[in-house]
Amino acid sequence: MTGTPSTYAGVADVVAVLVLLTEFAMLRAPLLRSQVRLYAFQSFVVTVLAIVVAATHHIPELYALAAFSLALKVILVPGLVLRLLRDADTDLAGSSTLGVASMILIAIAVSAFGFFTVGSLQVHSNALPTSALAIAAAVVLVAFVLIILRSDVVSQAIGFFSLENGVSVASLVVASGLPLVVDVAFLFDLLVAVVVFGVIMRVHHGRGKTLSTEELDRLRG
Amino acid sequence: MGTARTALRADGLYMNVKFVEVRGLAATVIAPQVVQALQVLTILCGAPLVSGIIAHMEGRLQGRRGPRILQPYYDLIKLFRKENLVTEESSWVFLAGPVIAFGCYLIVPLLIPVLTTFGLPLGYMGDILGGGFILALAGFAVALAGTESGAPYAQLGASRAMTFGALIEPTILFVVFTVALITSTDLPYALAATVRSSASEIVRPGHVLAALAFFLVVLVDTGRIPVETHSGTLEFGMIDEGRTLEHSGPALALLKWGSAMKQLILYTILINVFVAPWGLAASGDVGAVLLAILALLGKAVVVGLVFALIDNSFSKLRLFKITEFIAAAFLLAGLGVLVFFAGGG
Repeated sequence: MTGTPSTYAGVADVVAVLVLLTEFAMLRAPLLRSQVRLYAFQSFVVTVLAIVVAATHHIPELYALAAFSLALKVILVPGLVLRLLRDADTDLAGSSTLGVASMILIAIAVSAFGFFTVGSLQVHSNALPTSALAIAAAVVLVAFVLIILRSDVVSQAIGFFSLENGVSVASLVVASGLPLVVDVAFLFDLLVAVVVFGVIMRVHHGRGKTLSTEELDRLRG
Repeated sequence: MGTARTALRADGLYMNVKFVEVRGLAATVIAPQVVQALQVLTILCGAPLVSGIIAHMEGRLQGRRGPRILQPYYDLIKLFRKENLVTEESSWVFLAGPVIAFGCYLIVPLLIPVLTTFGLPLGYMGDILGGGFILALAGFAVALAGTESGAPYAQLGASRAMTFGALIEPTILFVVFTVALITSTDLPYALAATVRSSASEIVRPGHVLAALAFFLVVLVDTGRIPVETHSGTLEFGMIDEGRTLEHSGPALALLKWGSAMKQLILYTILINVFVAPWGLAASGDVGAVLLAILALLGKAVVVGLVFALIDNSFSKLRLFKITEFIAAAFLLAGLGVLVFFAGGG
């Protein structure tokens, strides 16, 4: 077994674990509103990670990135989705295919898969905590589980957004010196996704008076 | 000395190197056997006090005056003076259960670091799993006694306690696995020493997750609010409390005392193994041991206050939602192990 990680690596790992735990919390959150808030919290944690990396590796650009992600992912996007939700006037997510406990167990199995796959890649870097990379992969996989198992537009949108958070964590810990432009491009990708999902939510709710996607597999003449 | 320390730690048995610091002339050293007896006595006599302080503070938090701090002792004295009432249907198991459980709770403090940083003579008699088995035996004895009463609510409580006990078991196992992975042993002393050794040991995710998971385990096992209301008389929500409904007199006193001891034992493991293993006696010095007793009780009260705060800020989960709570605890413990395998977590 490897020895004790350094304090920086430990903190980065704990922050990454926090991101993963929020992802799991989203999986079980029954209220759509609380899911959006969890997403805001998760984005905040990612921002904190950016600041930690910036401070320990002396990369001032990351502060700018942190500011961007704070403005966009913590304030703007959740605010927008909450507003759409208020217009849609639905609180509860539709019943998911599985019970909460079994969803969590599936997600644990999936994230274990992510952990071991990334672990077997043998990626080592001096700057970075290896386990944070594995955790980021697990975040992405659990986001997929969220998208697949929850059958409402909001959960799926939030799953997609939080998938981007997982990618952010990965890019922060693997390539903290990644040019700012690339990172910001990621963020604008997210903005496009927000617009698309906003339109989907609006249109779907306007047509079907519901946010559930279960109605979508029926053919309409 | 630094190398000596690491060498000893690698062995897993972290013995303190500066064993007796001769301070002037009168460094009175207590024999390890006596310290070990003191560990049991601390848990035995301190448990009702800790419960009393928590109940008092809880009353304050709810805007009541709260019971007296020493109330649990008065309750115990009162119950010991009363007679045992046994239904005609029940056998000797009904009365033996509380005694067996009480005996188990007296054994566990021998195995865990209650007062000292160094292992005591009988401390290596069992590891974390051994302590867990003894606690489980105690729970089993109480549940059996509850079932033997033949009363519906006691049986309901016993059945529920066994069910949820079985559900929380995987979490406990994974916490033990994490501890074993971090320290390469499964001795509680070794983990406490590892946590004390450096700041990076405290922030490593494996440790944080295991500590959090164990916190939730304590919440379930002491029957606190998201799982069970510990004060109240509504039988339908009862789990642990329900088992003792039919007992009276000295048997009930033993059960109450036992559950207070179980609570303090779990707090002690949480504090002295996972969260804050500071303030323990590094030698058999009288002053250090006395200080360790006070420190333990103080820390236990602080932890108890955290639990009281949780008690006051959340509502009880529906019985069938408890599995979700337990799944969350399992998630934390499982991630602890996974993160460790993913690379030095």
